[in-house]
Amino acid sequence: MAGPSVNISVMIPRGDASRVQVSKRLSDVTVSMMTSRITESMSGNSLVLPIVLWGRHAPTHCISSLLVMEDLATIITGCHDGQICIWDMTPELEINPRALLFGHSASVTCLSKASAGSEKQYLVSASESGEMCLWDVNDGRCIEFTKLACAHTGIQFYQFTIGTQREGRLLCHGHYPEILVMDATSLEVLYSLVSKISPDWISSMSVIRSHRTQEDTVVAVSVTGILKVWIITADVSRMQVISLRQLVELQDKSFGLGLNSATALGGRVRETLCVRVRACEQDLDPVFEEESKPIYCQGCQSLSFCTFTQLSLLVVCSKYWRVFDAGDFSLLCSVASESNQSWAGGEFIAADKVITWTEDGCSFLLICPPVTRFFFGRREPFHKLLVQGDSAGRLSVWSVPDSSPAQTHPSSPAELPVTVSLSLQESFDQLLPPPAGIIDQLSLLPSSSDPMKVTASVYIPCQGRLVCGREDGSIVLVPATQTAIVSARYDQRSLVSGGVDFSVIIWDIFTGEMKHVFCVHGGEITQLIVPPENCSTRVQHCVCSVASDHSVGLLSLRERKCIMLASRHLFPIQTIKWRPCDDYLVVGCSDGSVYVWQMDTGALDRCVMGITAVEILNACDEFAPVALDSLGQPAVNLKQAVTRRSLAALKNMAQHKLHTLATNLLAADNADKLALTPPNLDSAPRCAGFFRRASPHRFTITRWNTASKSRRTLHANVPPEIRCPPSLLLQGNLPKYSHNSLLVQAMKTNVTDPDMHVLFFDVEAVIIQLLTEEAQRPNPTLVSPETLQKAPGGADKSGSFLANKIFKQVKETIKENIKEHLLDEDEDEEEEQRRREEKSKSLSLLEYNLTMDTAKLFMSCLHAWGLNGDLDALCQARLGMLRPHTPVSFGLISRGGHMSLMLPSFKDSLLRRLSAGSSDGRKLSVSEIVGKGTYGVSRAVTTQHLLSVISLANTLMGMTNATFIGEHMKKAPVR
Amino acid sequence: MLGAERSSLGDLEKMTAASQAERTVLEEEFNWLLKEEVHSVLKQLQDILKEASRRFSMPTPGLEGQLKQENFILGSSTMDQVKGVLTLQGEALTQADINIKVTKSSQVMHFAFRDDKQWKLQQIQDARNHVNQALQLLSSRDESYQFKTGAEVNKLMDAVMLQLTRARNRLTTPASLTLPELAASGLMRMFTPPMPGDVMVNFYINLSKLCLTVYQLHLLQPNTTKNFKPAGSSVVHNPGAMFEHNNNKFEVSHVHKVECVVPWLNDTLVFFTISLQLCQQLKDKISVFSSFWNYKPF
Repeated sequence: MAGPSVNISVMIPRGDASRVQVSKRLSDVTVSMMTSRITESMSGNSLVLPIVLWGRHAPTHCISSLLVMEDLATIITGCHDGQICIWDMTPELEINPRALLFGHSASVTCLSKASAGSEKQYLVSASESGEMCLWDVNDGRCIEFTKLACAHTGIQFYQFTIGTQREGRLLCHGHYPEILVMDATSLEVLYSLVSKISPDWISSMSVIRSHRTQEDTVVAVSVTGILKVWIITADVSRMQVISLRQLVELQDKSFGLGLNSATALGGRVRETLCVRVRACEQDLDPVFEEESKPIYCQGCQSLSFCTFTQLSLLVVCSKYWRVFDAGDFSLLCSVASESNQSWAGGEFIAADKVITWTEDGCSFLLICPPVTRFFFGRREPFHKLLVQGDSAGRLSVWSVPDSSPAQTHPSSPAELPVTVSLSLQESFDQLLPPPAGIIDQLSLLPSSSDPMKVTASVYIPCQGRLVCGREDGSIVLVPATQTAIVSARYDQRSLVSGGVDFSVIIWDIFTGEMKHVFCVHGGEITQLIVPPENCSTRVQHCVCSVASDHSVGLLSLRERKCIMLASRHLFPIQTIKWRPCDDYLVVGCSDGSVYVWQMDTGALDRCVMGITAVEILNACDEFAPVALDSLGQPAVNLKQAVTRRSLAALKNMAQHKLHTLATNLLAADNADKLALTPPNLDSAPRCAGFFRRASPHRFTITRWNTASKSRRTLHANVPPEIRCPPSLLLQGNLPKYSHNSLLVQAMKTNVTDPDMHVLFFDVEAVIIQLLTEEAQRPNPTLVSPETLQKAPGGADKSGSFLANKIFKQVKETIKENIKEHLLDEDEDEEEEQRRREEKSKSLSLLEYNLTMDTAKLFMSCLHAWGLNGDLDALCQARLGMLRPHTPVSFGLISRGGHMSLMLPSFKDSLLRRLSAGSSDGRKLSVSEIVGKGTYGVSRAVTTQHLLSVISLANTLMGMTNATFIGEHMKKAPVR
Repeated sequence: MLGAERSSLGDLEKMTAASQAERTVLEEEFNWLLKEEVHSVLKQLQDILKEASRRFSMPTPGLEGQLKQENFILGSSTMDQVKGVLTLQGEALTQADINIKVTKSSQVMHFAFRDDKQWKLQQIQDARNHVNQALQLLSSRDESYQFKTGAEVNKLMDAVMLQLTRARNRLTTPASLTLPELAASGLMRMFTPPMPGDVMVNFYINLSKLCLTVYQLHLLQPNTTKNFKPAGSSVVHNPGAMFEHNNNKFEVSHVHKVECVVPWLNDTLVFFTISLQLCQQLKDKISVFSSFWNYKPF
């Protein structure tokens, strides 16, 4: 096992394989436009711009639900991991993925449009865990979100007429026996449609408006096969609006559902419906059904009305489909399914034609049944589309012809040739140059064209490095930022990694030496967790490891031994919590059971389930309260957002779901800002519910999977010899450094995916840092008044780390790794070589100017390249900016930690739109793409970018001798 | 250094050779797992869950009266202030007789459900529906279906386990309510004689037990705002919990909790637990191979 020590060499990634490019069109947009959109763009607490490095592997997208917007220009797909993908579709039926929306922590169960107009397109999504989000389809902004205790399985948007107004409502059904009617803009529950007679879950539902009676009718089928009809009269709707107002006044005085009926309504009260459906005593009862009729249709899959004649109703069950009369619900016809095929849905495509489809996928590689839906255009273009999304992230679209007798028979849609089909991965593969990854240059193998997968990565702010564990079992360290090294609880030099070979290894981060190997687990290591600060001294020097054999170990780094091994859990471990004062380690398993272990003795104290288990877990949360009183309103909002999601976050952390990471990282971003305002750094929450430690300095641990049974190395440029499947995962303790303007966050949407990386630029933090540095300069006369105003505050707080370290002794500015691999460097080969050597030698001694480099990378990404050739040349030559080579995928952070990230293929959609708009129709050159691309993506993104670029440029102009031209380029120190 | 590298390369070759034979065996084993073992586990699961589902005795539409009625006597070994006789028919409580001995006056109060009322225990209905959904998922892959990948099996197991966990959780974690919510619930209006303002009852399922909680309230003076702190939501509130309802402030003076085991609920819980373990074991078996399949020579 003992391996020879290998020097860590840090490679300077060369900018060949992938580059980033970005543009901004400053001249076009006036300040007045900007201000009008400030509110829009600043919906987050601070101006943080994400830039995504997708890498070449498209994220896993196992489609669970899909929707085509009414104008047939956008397809929305939701996946089992909780992301939502927006695809653009041209009138010629070409499809192209545009953006990925992050926010749900569990599988997306249903999608629905949430606005009627075509100019503002909204989308509502619901997840398995009860979350609901309202998104702007154009830019992926989250407009509203809420969480209910119950999960919806279907949502329908409908406009009810209330007097002369039309009000958008969402009708939701799911694992509860009512239909909830929600406001489509606020996502508040307004009222519910309940059943008097045998209430049960609703399996599908449809809304029609009768021309005869001018009433909106809701028809639904319950899981037991009872058809129910509710009539929403104008009176009901108006009454409910009044009741909502009363509800607000009577906030605390709730009234339960009135029960007058002979058969029971039921004693269920959903405890956490955010707005409980309350009917006031003044005869505002819930809406009861008008009619209830058993139609003996069990396992109903879909229910749809014939919109052409309004006379018939199609009910599709897994074993048969039936047509009923829409008036008296008598059975008109019934068609059984063919040999062991089960129907999955159906729709009328004409007055006398029905299309139905089965669950069967065309490909047997599918791991779960695909989702199929039928849509037809009510406006131009009048396509009739059958869209299918499968578990491989592939969308297939069939255009159903109007008059073909072959298709009128309800048979498999496969007889029709697929009109268009595209998967996420295909769209990634089509791109040239391929989408940029974080360490592409380091990952290219001579033998294969695909770069090695990065399976885990951790950003160590206190050393300014990014640690990447790779598929072959090697770990690469690359400099990412620079900060002062401060003492932490653990030995600074240790890096801990866990592998698929069941072992946990301590490395010396500076020499690459393997210090110790723990072999205590009987399964792959899935997680490494840092115990909280207030544990016993012995435990404080431990790392908690979780393995796939459902065991948890406490490995002491100091004693070099395992002090506790908690095994025998029957189910995978979902959460680890701590009760330091009682010396308890609380293990939550995926089946809801909780095991309480004594850390010192290793004895199992208790094993509980049910309410007690929930209470124990909650008690652990309460145990680590956050001091928040001193913080302002935005902080409270942040806190609320964080707490609301912390349970989910904790749950998912175990599963390495991206959502958690996003939440944590947003919390971290915001904490950035907080840390600058209150002088007491220790009181600011820096991590989402997970690790709140008194010290802002964290030691970071990486998990590293390796199957190697031979020696291990920590190397980069030595050809890898260790064979192993990788899955380095981000460790729970998110690196957060209080004055970082750049945060590199690894993310994965699925455990099996390689890491993708998101760079978060906090514009405010960059500016404050720049001003701080400016203020600390020896020559005060050159400081602009503006700087003086701002600087003292910033200098005291954020500068304290830097003050004694950095200034006047910058020897060699070394670029961030990310920047280098992303951006073109105008340097000669020789110089690179020299720097490379230098870096390999002086790994631990690097000092470089983080702030300037961050600003440089940032400005380079945001600059409007290709718009003005002269300006570009000037920027590159005089200002030292770097020109990206591939389109930069930006993102947008919106409310509550929801995030929209552009997929690398977003350019294609834009280009298509642009070339359609240009009169001569000529092909746009690369520079034009770069220049015109990002502008026009969305107003919110444009606004954020303009604000950032202007504020940063102004700050830089106010500084003395500010330049992006690095010292290595000038061969002389700048200052 | 170089020598060490060479020898390790030699080891590596041996390892590769050994793993070739190993791979073949593993592959066969894995095929057996997918072809035989998975289906036998699915069959077992279906049998168990059908048994569980049978316990819930799904009502057939139109034939509500056909369900068996069961009487349960709720009591507690330590106190005799509250006694209840409840009649459970499927998921609904059709009759209830509650006797409460008021501590102060030692007078016995008697309440019964009105004839036209029954109380649906949503927990039971939800659990039943979740089990049926799990069964539907399982039946979608019958013996003739050939599983091609482990991921496919895992996905199916995840979906089934999600439903089973939910079914079990519905029974093991009753809804926690705030006292005003309880006071406003329709349950208070179901009794004859009408329940007085200072008594509240709540029914729920906790694990396999049918539980009845009776709260005796004590009206607080309207101007005692000083120490008034409304209680949050909880399954069972403790004496001393305060709340406001209809502009009156109340404090819970006594709490009586009585319960009775429903044998068939206990059975279903056992079935859920066994099925969950079966699912997890199948997943574990597949994961043994997963690291082998993910193995990629470099």
